[in-house]
Amino acid sequence: MAQKPKVDPHVGRLGYLQALVTEFQETESQDAKEQVLANLANFAYDPGNYEYLRQLQVLDLFLDSLSEENETLVEFAIGGLCNLCPDRANKEHILQTGGIPLIINCLSSPNEETVLSAVTTIMYLSSPGSGSHPELTAMPVVQCMLRFSLSANTRLRNLAQIFLEDFCSPSQVAEARTWRAHSALGIPLPRTEAPQQP
Amino acid sequence: MASSGGELGGVFDHHVQRAVCDTRAKYREGRRPRAVKVYTINLESRYLLIQGVPAVGAMKELVERFALYGAIEQYNALDEYPAEDFTEVYLIKFMNLQSARTAKRKMDEQSFFGGLLHVCYAPEFETVEETRKKLQERKAYIARTTKNKDHYITKKKPVTELKDTKDFRQNFHSGTSGFRAVTVNTSAGNSDPCLPYSCELPLCYFSSKCTCSSGEHMGKASNFSQDSRNHAKTMEHCMHNDSLQKIQMKPLKNSLAFPGAQKAITSSEAVERFMPRTTQLQERKRRREDDRKIGTFLETSTSSNEVMIGPLLPDIPKVDMHDDSLNTTANLIRNKLQEVISSVPKPPEDKLEDVHSSRPLKQRRRI
Repeated sequence: MAQKPKVDPHVGRLGYLQALVTEFQETESQDAKEQVLANLANFAYDPGNYEYLRQLQVLDLFLDSLSEENETLVEFAIGGLCNLCPDRANKEHILQTGGIPLIINCLSSPNEETVLSAVTTIMYLSSPGSGSHPELTAMPVVQCMLRFSLSANTRLRNLAQIFLEDFCSPSQVAEARTWRAHSALGIPLPRTEAPQQP
Repeated sequence: MASSGGELGGVFDHHVQRAVCDTRAKYREGRRPRAVKVYTINLESRYLLIQGVPAVGAMKELVERFALYGAIEQYNALDEYPAEDFTEVYLIKFMNLQSARTAKRKMDEQSFFGGLLHVCYAPEFETVEETRKKLQERKAYIARTTKNKDHYITKKKPVTELKDTKDFRQNFHSGTSGFRAVTVNTSAGNSDPCLPYSCELPLCYFSSKCTCSSGEHMGKASNFSQDSRNHAKTMEHCMHNDSLQKIQMKPLKNSLAFPGAQKAITSSEAVERFMPRTTQLQERKRRREDDRKIGTFLETSTSSNEVMIGPLLPDIPKVDMHDDSLNTTANLIRNKLQEVISSVPKPPEDKLEDVHSSRPLKQRRRI
């Protein structure tokens, strides 16, 4: 994922990221927005960039982009968040700026990658032992994960299983199972699924 | 985003090679033309799918070529996978993710026996346990890298905190605490671990480290990154500690009260916060002088092995600044140095033992 300007490791990188952010905010072209957001999301994979990304408020940029209508932008934004949220400082920022509802919303997306990134982000945010946010294991979320765990999509199934096993208490899972029978609404599975029985 | 076959071994969207992007702005064009795609830890996998392998019975050569990038755990041909005429599809499982990433990067679009390979990840082949391990390793990697980075950054800019504490000096009720903050950072050589990130966070961590690490002195550099992370959440409890730390909390409160202002930090402002090199050099020089003085004392001392910092005082030439306030200042600094050095026996001791063999200067890390 080497990006072109490798001039001066620190000053050059920051300037480049700043240019990306500026272009994202100013451009009207959807293509350019997608390209830049993908760029930033890929940068978010490397922990060496986290300080710059925080300085440039790219985390907020990602969170804001989750509300975009363009599904590709949402996919890239949640991908970026998924990449950088295991870092503790980033995680705090996301939790403090109320990012959880936005991320949980992504579970409803018809886009497979979006849902996968959302599930992983939720897992990283609710790491056990650091005072996990109760919203992350709320009933709708657990129910959603239960449905995902029955999915034909292996990747989704695996992730959901890990979530239920590692991040939910057995009682929560049991409760969600009984609730499912009564609950009318559910978070729809991504479009790549063969329709599952509820 | 339909996939023709949700079962294992079928075609998935992430297997499909996307078109290369040709509308990128010049400044962000990479060396190689690439598609617009985001790689997350979900997508990456130890399993690689290789398409476009010419059907010439070259499986052995293929595996050997990929094995250059890391140990391969298993490999097999995917006969059911839709392939172009006269090509085959293979699945290669690497022992570790990093090898797979490198192999994918290097081998994608490479020519092989007359054909062009298309390499992509195949995370759907992972078991639950493999996925779990993958996610945990990623988390551990980030924790490790960030911790090392903090350490490196703090050692590199030991006096970065100086600039901040200068601003807060007016908030301190007594000069002692101000100097204590200054000297703690410089002598310990380890200021706040998260300093470059933002104005708010480093101060939070700094305070939590000062106040919440009970009994642990500020000089213990190595534990700090961990402590600050562990204690970040308990920052609010720091208010109840002793007055010195309360004083230090005040500037933190002030800074926290203006999150908006802090958020408006631009890159130029961030650059300004780095200490100018001359000041760093001066600081290092001063520390060397102090070490040398301590070293000199030990050479001539015939008393117990224990490093006696107390008696050291009379030997350090007291410079008379010919001004009362300046003398007070100098004395405070000197006293603080003794305090800090006396409660950090380990590092200075190591240096002192080596005084006979090599100059303590050589021990210091230089930039």
